[in-house]
Amino acid sequence: MATIEGRNTILLSRGAEAEVYLVDFFGLRAVMKRRISKKYRAKLFDEVFIRNRTRVEARILSELYEAGLSVPSVLFVDEENGVLIVEYIEGVRASESFEKFDLGKATSISRRIGGFAARMHSLGIYHGDYTLANVLLRESEVYVIDFGLSGYSSDVEEYAIDLHLMARSIKASRPLDAEVLIKAMLDEYGSHYRGDYREVINRMKEISVRGRYIDREVRKSIMRERYIA
Amino acid sequence: MSLLNKEYELYVSVKPVGREIRVLGIESTSHTFGVGIVEYSGGRVKFLANAYSQYKPTSGGIHPRESFLHHVNNAPSVLRKALELAKLGIKGVDAIAVAVGPGLGPCLRVGASLARFLSAYYGKPIVAVNHAVAHIEIGKLVSGFADPVIVYVSGGNTMILVQKNKKYRVMGETLDIPLGNLLDTFAREAGIAPPYVVEGKHAVDICAEWSHEYIALPYTVKGCDLSFSGLLTAALKIARETRGDKEKLGAVCRSLRETAFNMLVEVTERTLMLTSKNSILLVGGVASNTELRRKFEYIAEHYGVGFYGTPPEIAGDNGLMIAYTGLLHYLYGLIKEPNSVFIKQRYRLDEEEYPWLP
Repeated sequence: MATIEGRNTILLSRGAEAEVYLVDFFGLRAVMKRRISKKYRAKLFDEVFIRNRTRVEARILSELYEAGLSVPSVLFVDEENGVLIVEYIEGVRASESFEKFDLGKATSISRRIGGFAARMHSLGIYHGDYTLANVLLRESEVYVIDFGLSGYSSDVEEYAIDLHLMARSIKASRPLDAEVLIKAMLDEYGSHYRGDYREVINRMKEISVRGRYIDREVRKSIMRERYIA
Repeated sequence: MSLLNKEYELYVSVKPVGREIRVLGIESTSHTFGVGIVEYSGGRVKFLANAYSQYKPTSGGIHPRESFLHHVNNAPSVLRKALELAKLGIKGVDAIAVAVGPGLGPCLRVGASLARFLSAYYGKPIVAVNHAVAHIEIGKLVSGFADPVIVYVSGGNTMILVQKNKKYRVMGETLDIPLGNLLDTFAREAGIAPPYVVEGKHAVDICAEWSHEYIALPYTVKGCDLSFSGLLTAALKIARETRGDKEKLGAVCRSLRETAFNMLVEVTERTLMLTSKNSILLVGGVASNTELRRKFEYIAEHYGVGFYGTPPEIAGDNGLMIAYTGLLHYLYGLIKEPNSVFIKQRYRLDEEEYPWLP
């Protein structure tokens, strides 16, 4: 670790859970994510926490990479120190550029985002923070990053939360075209998801009315559908 | 009563009022029947009285009917005591404030009935207050933080909030049971409560001192939202296997508390990074927990932000916070007729705009 730190190390971002650096990994440009130990947690819990989250993130990243999905490849894992080093992807965050594209390009990106989610969910994996801020665009390719909150689950609730978060993120970025873009995402999702995609889409609708600024009558009408169906 | 007769600068600017304004607040949402009185003059708020009586179940949890009967029996004496403390007659009060929700229906009705009566009989304006908003407002007043990340934890609520566009915005909240409920339910089911609180210490905190061991328990954070029900089930399952082994039960309590608090602190950290606020305000009944405060003090120091946890006398349910929040409503002209004040068992704090918010 000592060899990685110190040389050409640039701090990219500092979050609540981890620090992210751009590093030189044996001549390769790489991203190092280091989880920070928290004094407020009991020592044992802190160690278990850091080890587990690092391990899950690394395992999921490699599984997705092996399945051929566009995620950074894992270069190095040090569970004990909470260090994960992954391939650096030269690209722009979709949250910064998405609103500037013409509708055709935005639609094609939305479709790819939907396709990615479908293939990820088909492997029993959810992202946990699926928003445009975690989508990187390199030319016409769509990469998904930051699997810090991801996990394994067969519960459609987790899948629906991913779609719900992304739909909300798209809406915030392009409120005027949101309907078309979200439909493109969901259509593509439907054609790649292995299970019954309608189940996921229905749950997603339900989650959106669980929200806090929703008219009671709208909420009732959607929740009712669940019980009738 | 260390806070009584202290003066606080009102952080919002309202039109100057030539005379003193006194508001009486009634709290009856759950186990506490409380009456508080505040006085406003020259841009400063003074706490005149904070009287209360608490319903303490001898077995099980809060029974709404029993709590209701307690409130009915104790309302007159608590009201009298508050007026005595403030050295006032009801005629010296300018407005009556009452917590209309969220809370238990039967309990809420006691406070609302008393408030409507006082308002109609003595011809005083009435103000309907949201109980959750009151917890936060009094915390902001006493801490002097105008725009903090707010962590509201009690028996009925667990939320991380910020203020935006004159509204409270919920950044994260519990998806199932609240934190206080988690601790109480565990204590009850594990056979270490009631009493839930002894000399200011919760049964789970007392039990946690029986051991220094930790056991791994489920940790569920979804973005900024929390889920405690899986943690409760898992902790209870292990607790039942201890069969009276004090040390083992101690380890469960210690681990339950540690896991639940770590979850809460993690989402607070995330909100802090997301919103770049420069202070953290801890309010609600669980705010007086020393272990929780210690954890928050750590992160406040780590991020170089301010931290304030409301002291026990205003952290738990009390009439003072209703009186103070009632005063804010009154100063902004948000007064009602007694026949238009209704209780609202489900009353979210992010439903309405509050004109004094940034």
